[in-house]
Amino acid sequence: MNDPAVSFQGVAKRYPHFNLDNINLDLPIGSIMGFIGANGAGKSTTIRILMGLVHQDRGSVRVLGHAMPEQQVAAKQDIGFVSEDMRLYGAATLGWHIEFLRQIFPRWDQPYAETLLRRFELKSEQKIKGLSHGQRVKAALLLALARRPRLLVLDEPTTGLDPVARHEVLGELMAVLADEERTILFSSHNTLDVEQISDQITFIDRGRIIDSNDKEMFLDRWRRLRLQLPPNAALPQLPGIVDIGGSGRLPVLTTNRFDPAMVSACNDMGATVQAVDTMTLEEIFVANVHSRRTQTAYEMERQEVTV
Amino acid sequence: MNYSMVKRLILKDWYLQRWPILFSLLGGALALAIVAKGGQAGFTLGIILLVTVLVTIGAMLAMNLTVLERKEQTLAFVMSLPVSYREYTAAKILGVLLIFLVPWLAFMAGSIALIWFAPEIRGLIPFIVIMGTEILANTCMIAAVGLISESQGWTITVLMIGNLALNAIGYAVAHIPSIGNGMFRPHLHWSPTATGLLATEVAIICLILAGTFFFQSRKNDFL
Repeated sequence: MNDPAVSFQGVAKRYPHFNLDNINLDLPIGSIMGFIGANGAGKSTTIRILMGLVHQDRGSVRVLGHAMPEQQVAAKQDIGFVSEDMRLYGAATLGWHIEFLRQIFPRWDQPYAETLLRRFELKSEQKIKGLSHGQRVKAALLLALARRPRLLVLDEPTTGLDPVARHEVLGELMAVLADEERTILFSSHNTLDVEQISDQITFIDRGRIIDSNDKEMFLDRWRRLRLQLPPNAALPQLPGIVDIGGSGRLPVLTTNRFDPAMVSACNDMGATVQAVDTMTLEEIFVANVHSRRTQTAYEMERQEVTV
Repeated sequence: MNYSMVKRLILKDWYLQRWPILFSLLGGALALAIVAKGGQAGFTLGIILLVTVLVTIGAMLAMNLTVLERKEQTLAFVMSLPVSYREYTAAKILGVLLIFLVPWLAFMAGSIALIWFAPEIRGLIPFIVIMGTEILANTCMIAAVGLISESQGWTITVLMIGNLALNAIGYAVAHIPSIGNGMFRPHLHWSPTATGLLATEVAIICLILAGTFFFQSRKNDFL
């Protein structure tokens, strides 16, 4: 079996006001992973460690078979990186940037760069400082894609884009996904973007990976069950309940281990299942984060009581 | 060390700084023309303009190539390239030094030539060389602080201290008898004190460069 394109094993990084804690993550070759977290959750720190720009305090990171940060030069030959906070040189033209990178990357694909120029409606003689935000993101994406990287790392690339530009950027990303050898890590707090292009999803919150799985697995297993209970009946004990909402005799259960057999189990226990709602990735993310935070707070409370 | 990559990064900075360099060369040429026109007022005005242009272009290069790369968020673009931080540091330090050497050498050569052809003040040459090297050391210091501190505030503080120190050092050097007494005389007299001062300045430049590599190599976070 092939080594994963990206592998994090027990990675930790401490800052005065933020800790990235015990990150374990594998990104198989050819997969597209959506890396979802709220602002300040640790997405960018994780990606900077992946790129060798920040050194982890503990744990090992391998990218395309290279140990990071020690072998970052070799790894970065095969990585295309676009980040929300990455800017190109405003005083230079896009054509100058293309020429600059063409000399550095042996696999630079000039015909593809020209195709992307047309598709993104960019002009190589345009100065970067004259481009709109959307055009700058497209320019950065062009410069990353035309390297023909084996790994594409996109850190919140669609943040701040208008809907049309976002649609175009995502469309182009979907087009490059046709290449099955290319691996993509796409970080965002916008679950809609991630849902469109990813086949794997990882949630990160407060510096910890809280869940990681196939997108379809998330969408299949997470459900909201709207129940009606008979008077004085207890809630049925179901597997994977992460949240109980609703009220009194009309509870709403959120489960991350849904099985159609649950419906008949509820009926057998006297409850009526009024509806089984599918959940969007955003709803799953929010429920997941809420559930983990509640669990963590509960565990901390228990520890304090024990002490 | 990937020297080819270091070279590419230096050429990139050269390209991006080409207009300030060109304008500084034009400013320097104007200053030298004023000096060449003769007269004490012209000489004083020309030298002040020349020093101002040299100090300004040095500070501008040191700031633009270090702190501004971080401030304008182009550092992430550079560091996404197959380059290590050691190579990046080498490119920045050598880049500031080599790019600044273009106007520096031009101005130094121009000033020395002008003074050489005005035989009554040939004695000024040691003072000019010492102060020119001091400006070079100043520029290296600003670039080093910019790279190491990554802070615009600290870099501007060092820039201001450096410029004040330049005036103080100029005053002090001009008052060293073995240098100051011969400044406005027709004979060039290169004293052991002048050699000592020049050697100290060169040693300081080497220390600044080595120190920058040392401190940069101990960093763990670059973005």
